[in-house]
Amino acid sequence: MPWSASRNIVAIPPILATVLVMSLSSLAFEVLLARIFAISQWNHLSFMVISIALFGFASSGTYLNLAGLSSRSQLQDWLNARRLVILISLYSASALIAFITLTHMPLDYFRLPFEAAQAVYLLSAYLLTALPFFCTGLIIALAYASFPAKTGSVYLATMVGSAGGALLPAIALSLFGEGRLFCAISLLPLGLVPLYLPQAPAHQFHAADDDHQPPRYFLGRWFLSTIIGLLIFFSTFIIPEYKFLHIKPSHYKALHQVLQFPDTNITQTEHHLRGRVDTINSPFIRFAPGLSLKFTETLPRTSALYLDGDNASHLYHVKSWPNNRFARATLAYAGYTLHPNPQHVLVVQNAGGAAAACALASGAGDITLVHPRSNIAKQIDQFYPIQIVTEQPRAFLANTSNQFDIIHIEDWGTSLAGTAALNQSHLLTINALTAYWQHLTTQGVIIISRKLLLPPAESLRLWATAYTSLRQQGLPDPERHIIMLRNWDTFTLLVTRQPSENLAVIRNFANRYNFDLMYAPHLNPCEVNRFNVFDQPFHYAALTELANAYQTETEQTFFDKYLLDVVPQTDDRPFPDRYLKWVKIKNFHQSMGNRIYTLILSSEVVVMVVLVEALVIAVILLMAPLIYIRKRLQPPAISHIVYFLAVGAGFMFVELYFIKAFTLLFGNPVVSLTVVLGGVLIFSGAGGYWATRAGIRRLSPVLAILILFLFALVFFNETLLSAILTLPVFYRYAWAVVMLFPISFLMGAPFSLGMRYLLSSPGQRAYAWAANGSASVLAAIAAAQMALSIGIQFILAGAIAAYIVAGACVRRLLAAN
Amino acid sequence: MQSAELAQKVMLFMVVLLPIELLAATDVFQGARQQMVLNQIKARGVSNPKVLAAMQQVPRHRFVPTNMIARAYADRPLPIGEGQTISQPYIVALMTAALKLEGRERVLEIGTGSGYQAAILAEIAAEVYTIEIKTKLYHRATGLLSDLGYAGIKTRSGDGYFGWPEAAPFDAIMITAAVDHIPPPLIKQLKDGGRLILPLGNPLSYQNLVLVSKSGDDVTVKQITGVLFVPMTGHALER
Repeated sequence: MPWSASRNIVAIPPILATVLVMSLSSLAFEVLLARIFAISQWNHLSFMVISIALFGFASSGTYLNLAGLSSRSQLQDWLNARRLVILISLYSASALIAFITLTHMPLDYFRLPFEAAQAVYLLSAYLLTALPFFCTGLIIALAYASFPAKTGSVYLATMVGSAGGALLPAIALSLFGEGRLFCAISLLPLGLVPLYLPQAPAHQFHAADDDHQPPRYFLGRWFLSTIIGLLIFFSTFIIPEYKFLHIKPSHYKALHQVLQFPDTNITQTEHHLRGRVDTINSPFIRFAPGLSLKFTETLPRTSALYLDGDNASHLYHVKSWPNNRFARATLAYAGYTLHPNPQHVLVVQNAGGAAAACALASGAGDITLVHPRSNIAKQIDQFYPIQIVTEQPRAFLANTSNQFDIIHIEDWGTSLAGTAALNQSHLLTINALTAYWQHLTTQGVIIISRKLLLPPAESLRLWATAYTSLRQQGLPDPERHIIMLRNWDTFTLLVTRQPSENLAVIRNFANRYNFDLMYAPHLNPCEVNRFNVFDQPFHYAALTELANAYQTETEQTFFDKYLLDVVPQTDDRPFPDRYLKWVKIKNFHQSMGNRIYTLILSSEVVVMVVLVEALVIAVILLMAPLIYIRKRLQPPAISHIVYFLAVGAGFMFVELYFIKAFTLLFGNPVVSLTVVLGGVLIFSGAGGYWATRAGIRRLSPVLAILILFLFALVFFNETLLSAILTLPVFYRYAWAVVMLFPISFLMGAPFSLGMRYLLSSPGQRAYAWAANGSASVLAAIAAAQMALSIGIQFILAGAIAAYIVAGACVRRLLAAN
Repeated sequence: MQSAELAQKVMLFMVVLLPIELLAATDVFQGARQQMVLNQIKARGVSNPKVLAAMQQVPRHRFVPTNMIARAYADRPLPIGEGQTISQPYIVALMTAALKLEGRERVLEIGTGSGYQAAILAEIAAEVYTIEIKTKLYHRATGLLSDLGYAGIKTRSGDGYFGWPEAAPFDAIMITAAVDHIPPPLIKQLKDGGRLILPLGNPLSYQNLVLVSKSGDDVTVKQITGVLFVPMTGHALER
């Protein structure tokens, strides 16, 4: 029987299954898209994925309004099996095409100011990747609009599906890799197609019963199911990572550059949600940041692991280990000269490798290296005879009572300054410095080495961080515990447990290896620009000015006046690579030679561009149907619109708050994202389902309790997070989920109750869907900017404000009803 | 079919490539070179007459791929294949000038690339040694330098990290790229009073031009200027 002859009205069970699977696939698609951008471009470009999802989802609601599907009968007519099959197939095809196009398109956003073609590539990538989200959004919007009585079930299916989509890459990425997993999740919804196969002509779908179907329909369904099943199986398990499925890292990244050397190749690639790790075998890798120019011997053979094509971790081959004397000629080794025979050394390593070499060169009896990534930690373990701990370093410190003579922190960051501005790290905050300090022995030393930037930025921030941490711990003269040295492109901060009364040791070390001092008590200005000469001693001058500002308690004036944002970071604002000041962006641009692409390099500028772009899209998507509906039907009331905007924004603010706050617990934003998305979506799905059964009278109390919970979180979050951080891993996860439960459950109610009871027509529901989606995405981008500029806790303030606005709208809407 | 293809190729050679090759060989670019020296180099403050003369003398267009000849004297680096570039003329001049060569020196260049920088050095210094890690580039540059009459330049295919110990010590060394440290063997092969120049940083974004000087036991580094290369990546580099 041809499909066109059948009206095929769809019943709710297959629709719910479709919503669930499409939500799952779309969220997994979104996570994988973020992975593609993180590898092929830079991490911050993954922000564009949020904007893409908005465009897709919100435009589906707008489309329904513009298509004139405003009555329920029109909708149910439209929502037939054939259309659903087309939408599902379109989703799968567009997702696959988007993936292959994205991985092969010569998109290079750094070249946007120079090449018009890049704008075309960017727009094409944007539209192509938005199409799968449009298909999913359309199906969900249709489900909400067509079955208002089942709003709770549709909401539950959406949320559970999305939660599954968030968790799936976490489990499956390491098994299948990005390419094959992309194929699998793109094809997965095709498994729904047999649900919509034509049934016996006399029956409609909702009345059909497989047991009474004629055999040819039954066999047809089985045949198609088998074909689709084989297709998914083949793409997931059989198809190798062909070239067209491989994601190439950006040409600007260190991996691309190292692969330019002859006899250099990738020996192993490990895919993981936390990042792709490529192991490189090359005779040309030599890593020794901060190496003295007076060292003229040979470096040991070195291997390297690249995370998402950058952030290299280096490993020195043990057989050539007698050559480890190089480590004693590196800038960071200055810290070891202050404690010549350390017994216990803690190395906190994120990217780099020289810290382990320094610790081994010192001859310390007990060396512990903490690395947050298990796959890299495993490799380090094979190279060095030291104790390797896979753990978020802050959690490790919170859980150990051991004291260390040396705590050496190494994280060189990305190879391009500015691209890591959005990266959340809790290793260089005031709280982190305090934790390191509290684990030092009485003669202990903290060592932190970083890149030397001009204009001075990180050196100032780290000095201020150390000073503030020591001052908070009641030290009367923190500046006497801080020493800084530099060579021509790196600097090292030393924080000593005892005041640095005698600088002779450091002076001798600096003279011997031709390093310059940047900051130390009673420093002679002639010592600061001798061997590594700038036109002027910029770093020394800026540090001296900063130190004077702290001593006269005018540090805030210094920070306000300085070209860059060098305010010390806290666990609430943990962005150590972020320096841009919006009010001084013009001066910054001038200081970088008026080159536009220095701004494009900055992640924060990208966030702002995406925010503006999303705002424009949201306005268009929300205004277009209003203008169109006004001509024919009654548009939704302003209170309706504001309510759904507020609920969408509030939900996303809370979700983003938890993702950012829990990064401290799990040490990785992607793990945090997975846990939070999984938890929030499942609990809010359950909350939404419960609420639609409980009725509209629950809405105001739910909002009130939710706001109370959020207020409580504002006051207790720091205490809670600090307490959870001290727990073993399993309990950290468990308590994180417990923290998520009440708020997420309550957050599920406002949207589902609003969709179910506050709106009266399918057109209004489609509009509410678009409004909710738009607000969610705008809030997500705004939350990122809020965290960068004023701190993570302020995201909660945004959430509280949004839910208060929603509460006010509810009162008006209920009164009007 | 094959003869048709052959005829097509011959036509292409006669109509397109031959005129370009002839143009390249007859050096009709002298005017462009003069403009380059005047507007890009002298105007930016490089005044060393030896350097200016060398930049005026060496036919830069011979060192770029045929399809880039028209842009050979533009104020920008150009891709030369194998993921490498020929530096912007101003950077070549600036780096050469920073070495303060008098004419008697023995100079080592790490990273021959197109051979252009080695030719500039050869116009000024007494002896030039150059090492290229990529075999294709090494062969191409060696052949070209020989064709252009720079037979005195000693070229070698290999890892420049270890320098050229047999020819050491050098009065000056020039490195075209470095990652996170200056190779210790190169410092060792530098004469007392010798100078080493290199651009530091990501080769595809911005770098600091750095001059290293050896004086007795001490080695000092001087930051000359920040240099910001126009990004040349992706398909442009692969051509």
